[in-house]
Amino acid sequence: MHPRRLLLAALALLLPVAAHAATPANTLVVAKQIDDIITLDPAEAYELSDEEVITNVYDRLIRYEAEDLTKMVGGVAQSWVVSPDGKTFTFTLRPGQKFHDGSPLTAEDAAFSLQRVVILNKTPAFLITQLGWTPENVGTLIQAVDAHTLRFTTPVRFAPSLVLNLMSSVVGSVVEKKLAMAHQAGGDLGNAWLKSHDAASGPFVLISWKPKESVTMQANPAYRLGPPGVGRIVIRNIVESASQRLLLEKGDVDIARNLTPDQIAAVAKRKGIRIEEFPGSDTWYVGLNQKDPRLANPLVRQAMRYLIDAQGMTGSFLKGSFKVHETFLPDGFLGALDDDPNHLDVAKAKALLAQAGFPNGFELRLDTPNTTPYTDIAQSVQQTMGLAGIKVAIVPADLKQVLTLYRARQHQMVLVNWGPDYLDPHTNADTFAYNPDNSDKAAEKPLAWRNDWAILQLSQETLAAAQEPDTAKRVAMYHDLQKKVLEEGPFMILFQPTFQIAEQARVHGFIAGITSDLTYYRKVTK
Amino acid sequence: MKPVGWQAWLLTETPGGRAQARAGRWYRNLRRFARNPLAMSGLFVVLALIAVALAAPLLAPARAVVLQALPDRLLPPSLAHPFGTDELGRDLYARVVFGARITLSIVAMVALIVLPIGLGIGLPAGYFGGWIDLVLMRLTDIFLAFPRLILALAFAAALGPGIRNAVIAIALTAWPPYARLARAETLSLRAREFVLAAELQGASAWRILRTQILPLCLPSVIIRLTLDMAGIILTAAGLGFLGLGAQPPSPEWGAMVASGRDVLLDQWWVATIPGLAIFVVSLGFNLLGDGLREIFDPRAA
Repeated sequence: MHPRRLLLAALALLLPVAAHAATPANTLVVAKQIDDIITLDPAEAYELSDEEVITNVYDRLIRYEAEDLTKMVGGVAQSWVVSPDGKTFTFTLRPGQKFHDGSPLTAEDAAFSLQRVVILNKTPAFLITQLGWTPENVGTLIQAVDAHTLRFTTPVRFAPSLVLNLMSSVVGSVVEKKLAMAHQAGGDLGNAWLKSHDAASGPFVLISWKPKESVTMQANPAYRLGPPGVGRIVIRNIVESASQRLLLEKGDVDIARNLTPDQIAAVAKRKGIRIEEFPGSDTWYVGLNQKDPRLANPLVRQAMRYLIDAQGMTGSFLKGSFKVHETFLPDGFLGALDDDPNHLDVAKAKALLAQAGFPNGFELRLDTPNTTPYTDIAQSVQQTMGLAGIKVAIVPADLKQVLTLYRARQHQMVLVNWGPDYLDPHTNADTFAYNPDNSDKAAEKPLAWRNDWAILQLSQETLAAAQEPDTAKRVAMYHDLQKKVLEEGPFMILFQPTFQIAEQARVHGFIAGITSDLTYYRKVTK
Repeated sequence: MKPVGWQAWLLTETPGGRAQARAGRWYRNLRRFARNPLAMSGLFVVLALIAVALAAPLLAPARAVVLQALPDRLLPPSLAHPFGTDELGRDLYARVVFGARITLSIVAMVALIVLPIGLGIGLPAGYFGGWIDLVLMRLTDIFLAFPRLILALAFAAALGPGIRNAVIAIALTAWPPYARLARAETLSLRAREFVLAAELQGASAWRILRTQILPLCLPSVIIRLTLDMAGIILTAAGLGFLGLGAQPPSPEWGAMVASGRDVLLDQWWVATIPGLAIFVVSLGFNLLGDGLREIFDPRAA
């Protein structure tokens, strides 16, 4: 083509875009930081954005649905029976389900999906290998009885509610066996191909994932709960929150997911923009390494709990995005205890420190990731600790460096957060209140281990709670565990986040639960 | 108008001795410098920076630098807070004033490290030549091969955050141009008659480098350093911005800009005021360096 004509054609293409700032009517455009996506294979995915996309593309054996986030219901499975010994689970699948390519979904696919997770043994595999499954035994322990019946047996006995919750996590996603095996390369069960392709039956069809750029999904009109409300979802990777805000205000995106509390307050004043809040499930805490003899002193730990102004922070720079929560089970979890006894009390803290033999305080290092709000929280802690003579030196570093230090137990104090792996209290108890082997060469390195907290007795209690079949008794056991960790543990648990999103007023129906597995785009309309 | 008195003594065409000639040369340079308004404004900025850094405790209460007042966060500039407050309710005026100390100390420390390293490598390389030159210059090339900011980032990340480590990281990446410059000057000087005369008189290499070559190299190296100061300040601010420089809660300007980034649209002052401070001081050093070059650079004379 002649250069000038080419230029004119290019201009003609650009003009309509410039004229309409609003997003297309049948497409939802979301601004979100999604550079954490590593893979979209449900047997490998473990990052927050991975799980958010996968839960909208793949259907799972068990689900919590957007209609009632608190109720466990059947997904691919319609009903299930647990054997009296609590080890054998039999699922009846819904009839007539189809994958996105039109092939029928059978129990064979469901069994393959679970076996695949164990055999590939990628990051999320531990979720179900803790049931006693190994690559050698999954062939016999997980079986399709007929086209609509899946049966599995777990060598280790856990509470049925825990096992079913595991089936509602990312590893419970049902993958189309025929399609995955057609793309197998070097015995990887289709892993390389599934990183960026779809073999699913969920509400959306994955169109493309461009790393650090965007994810595009298209509505699946044949979804078992009816077609989604919009035809297409585009999630754009926008890292700077200020850019997300500008895009939202200009109408270039429909939802901005990562605005700071100050930005939320500012856009809330604009016409045509609405703010919505969803509870998060992370636990933000300060870890106190028990290798440090000062921090191992219970009086010192007690004093330090009185030297944090958590209420002051949630009342100011964390307003709206965090709430004070001091127990290890976030609100929204089975057995969560809402008990926040600590508050800033310098006089009490000084008395406790004097009693512990540190009337003039001491110096401590606080490692923290170098981003907001970690640095702001760290500086607030620094100031209030200073009121009782504890001089805190903040060492900000890249999150990965902080975690490396933490995993090697080389910190004194560390400010980080923990996210639950699945919707069952055991996921957090397993790390905050479980440390059966405190030696340097321990195979498991839960958070209690990382802070050098040797707790043989408490670890037994945690296991007992995971195996208790009676739910009411289980709740009581978790209440007890939370109280013990709150009073004696090497953690100063501070906050539970609240996600605030800003959206165009014409957008309705976006639903997010306490974990990224509970993010639903299918009910969105605009 | 014919100069009289001490001016005449300084400006005479026939000085009575070395001291008078030297004083006269300095005086002429000073007059040339003073006639350049841009250079003078640069000098003013740099002097102001030094004055603010020295008198910081008189200009603002030191306590206000780190004192958080959460109810007073993100206040716009007012009488109580001339530059407003930041995201933790700290007074930005006090922080900017005390930040001048950090900036000045970084600049001074980098200069103190860079000059000896640059001269120590450049002078012998130029004077001795041969394999000494080869080894020293290839070493310099290795450091020059990496983009400066990236190399500083890598060093700072490896050494860990903190002002001392930031200074080391910047100095490690800043010295190669000085070595090159010193070597080039030395090459052009070492065949001159006065150097040969000194050699014939039996002066050692060390003595020649120190008494004959170093004094003639210094002006161009110092001018280069002054011009580089802006770059050093920006690199330091860049490291602070990325969280690799000063540690909180120290009022490093780059880190202050970073913390104001999230609220830039509504509370512009949190990022803009430290940003302006960085801008003005960098510009000041640049203008001063330009003015000095015009005086000392023989090509411009």
